[in-house]
Amino acid sequence: MDTRILLVEDDPSIREVTAIGLGAAGFAVTTAADGVDGLDRFRADPYDLVLLDVMLPRLDGYEVCRQIRRTSTVPVVMLTARADTMDVVVGLEAGADDYVRKPFEVPELIARIRAALRRAGGAAGETSLLKLGPIEIDVAGREATRDGQAIALTRTEFDLLLELVRHAGQVLTRDTLLDRVWGYDYLGDSRLVDVAIQRLRAKVEADPAVPELIQTVRGAGYKAVR
Amino acid sequence: MIGGVRARLTATIVALVMVTAAVLGIAASLFVDASLHQQALDDARDQARFDLSVLAPSILGSPPAPDRIPELAAAFRFRGLESIIIPPGGEPTYDPSSLRGTLDQIPGSVRRFVDEGQIAYSWQDVGGVPSLIVGGRSSGGGPAIYLVRDVSAIEQALGQLRLALGLGALVAVVLAVVAARVVARGVLAPVDEASRAAERIERGDLGARVPVTSDDEFGQWADRFNRMADSLEDTILRLEAAQAQNRRFVADVSHELRTPVTALVAEASLLRDHLGALPPAARRTGELVIQDIGRMRDLVEDLMELSRFDAAGEEVRLQPVDLGRLVRGVAAARHPDAVLELPDERVVIDSDPRRLERILANFIDNAREHAPGALVVVRVRATAEDVTVAVLDRGPGVPPDRLDRIFERFYMADPSRRGGSGLGLAIAAENAALLGGELLARNRSGGGLEIQLVLPVTEPLPDGDRAATHDEQPERR
Repeated sequence: MDTRILLVEDDPSIREVTAIGLGAAGFAVTTAADGVDGLDRFRADPYDLVLLDVMLPRLDGYEVCRQIRRTSTVPVVMLTARADTMDVVVGLEAGADDYVRKPFEVPELIARIRAALRRAGGAAGETSLLKLGPIEIDVAGREATRDGQAIALTRTEFDLLLELVRHAGQVLTRDTLLDRVWGYDYLGDSRLVDVAIQRLRAKVEADPAVPELIQTVRGAGYKAVR
Repeated sequence: MIGGVRARLTATIVALVMVTAAVLGIAASLFVDASLHQQALDDARDQARFDLSVLAPSILGSPPAPDRIPELAAAFRFRGLESIIIPPGGEPTYDPSSLRGTLDQIPGSVRRFVDEGQIAYSWQDVGGVPSLIVGGRSSGGGPAIYLVRDVSAIEQALGQLRLALGLGALVAVVLAVVAARVVARGVLAPVDEASRAAERIERGDLGARVPVTSDDEFGQWADRFNRMADSLEDTILRLEAAQAQNRRFVADVSHELRTPVTALVAEASLLRDHLGALPPAARRTGELVIQDIGRMRDLVEDLMELSRFDAAGEEVRLQPVDLGRLVRGVAAARHPDAVLELPDERVVIDSDPRRLERILANFIDNAREHAPGALVVVRVRATAEDVTVAVLDRGPGVPPDRLDRIFERFYMADPSRRGGSGLGLAIAAENAALLGGELLARNRSGGGLEIQLVLPVTEPLPDGDRAATHDEQPERR
């Protein structure tokens, strides 16, 4: 079955050419021209990934992302105009997994989509159960629990947690995490890591202001402490 | 200088008052001195005439009897006068006897006049008391009589007068100083006001004005000053508005261009896959379209970036940056053939890695544009005070007089050359300024250009090995 992508973008030319490119790459693309329309379509049918413009009429991309996150962990990739301002951080905090900067070349976009889908697919067949302090991680079930209570993690957050726990006690640099979790080779945005770590801590740490499980190693990166 | 004017004005007024007081005081004291002495002398002379022509003959009898001289002396003493009485050919009688030495102190001219029968006088000191001695011969062949009057009262009165005049002069001078200050302040107040207003304008408060309080020259001057400030403020505000409008226009233009450019870039990236399917003429055109879309994209993105700097909406995100890693990463992405000269130790600074990447990438792009195919060297040097990242090329360099202009917007060292937006180094400069660093450019010996980014080291460089294992509580609070 084709991979289904929901593309929410208001500019008709960008929407059309992106749909053409993604279609040529083998994806089944559904398009929406504004935030409300996009959310309606997302609720009507299941999708494997959502491609979301930030500046949308009626309901902006951040809000659409927040609404999606209430019910779903589907990978969300934001299309942002300004990569070096608050846009990126706000988007990631709204629950987006990754972002692609405008203007983009279609092959570059496809690479980001594939990376996000790959992560969403998970490491099938792995049955081990990992532990980090009071947190239990069911690798195959892609679920983390604290004292039997499920913790709601996005796919990216789950992958990040898994990567840290698999190398517990070891410092992972931001670049390493960008490579292994997001699939960037170089020139990824280290804020992806920082924001995702912050969100993850808020969910797994007893006191996110004084993290004990996931620690910052100044000048180097992060490490999980068992 | 205002202080100078104030001091000069005060000094002038005080000097005038002092001279006036001195002249008046000296003249008054001289006049009073003279008139008091004259008065005393006139009194004494009248008295002496009476004594010589009436009193002495009536007591001494006619002819004068020498044995009645003590009676005459007693009469003088009764009136408060000391006396020396010298009968012709006899011994002088001194009353009191302490006058015995005084006779010799009376000037010879006085005694001669007296011997000749005239009345003469002398101001002199007798036994430490200022005195007036009047001498004369009693009528009818009587004795020579010298009457000594105590005039210390005159001297006392004169002393008091001088003291009063001196005190008066002092009071006048003090009053003059005060008055001079008041006057100076009044006269100079408008100057002070204008000085303060000018200082405020200098500090950027364009609304500062001088109060117009009078209709005199100062008032007109203040009015003129204010009109100058009005026109200055007006001009500056208009220039600022025009500049802001300009910037907004550039920001709006680049913003509006972004959407079509995004569509174009996406379209070009798809077209690239199908170039091979086009007939040759259309294929070349397609290649050019793709290439020019790339140029337009660069230009629009650079313009947008610069307009963000102009809007001052940029923020810096400091974090520890391993410069060696960063340089290797950027070089690998931009120019894998570049030669890297890195220090042996790790160089870690607190900075914004995205901005550092941007600066370095623009340096490398610039080097490649100006010296295609030539060797490019990226060099990192660290000292205790600063860190320098330099990119060296073997291009044509830049004429020395234009070296400092290469960081200006749209500056092209070689106008015939195309490629790049002409904004890359300007963007690098804005980023560097945001990081507290500066950009330098110089021509290399042997040809080529060296561009440096110099960053201050604001905290000690963490030791490389320890930094990697040093566990620390989160950066965010």
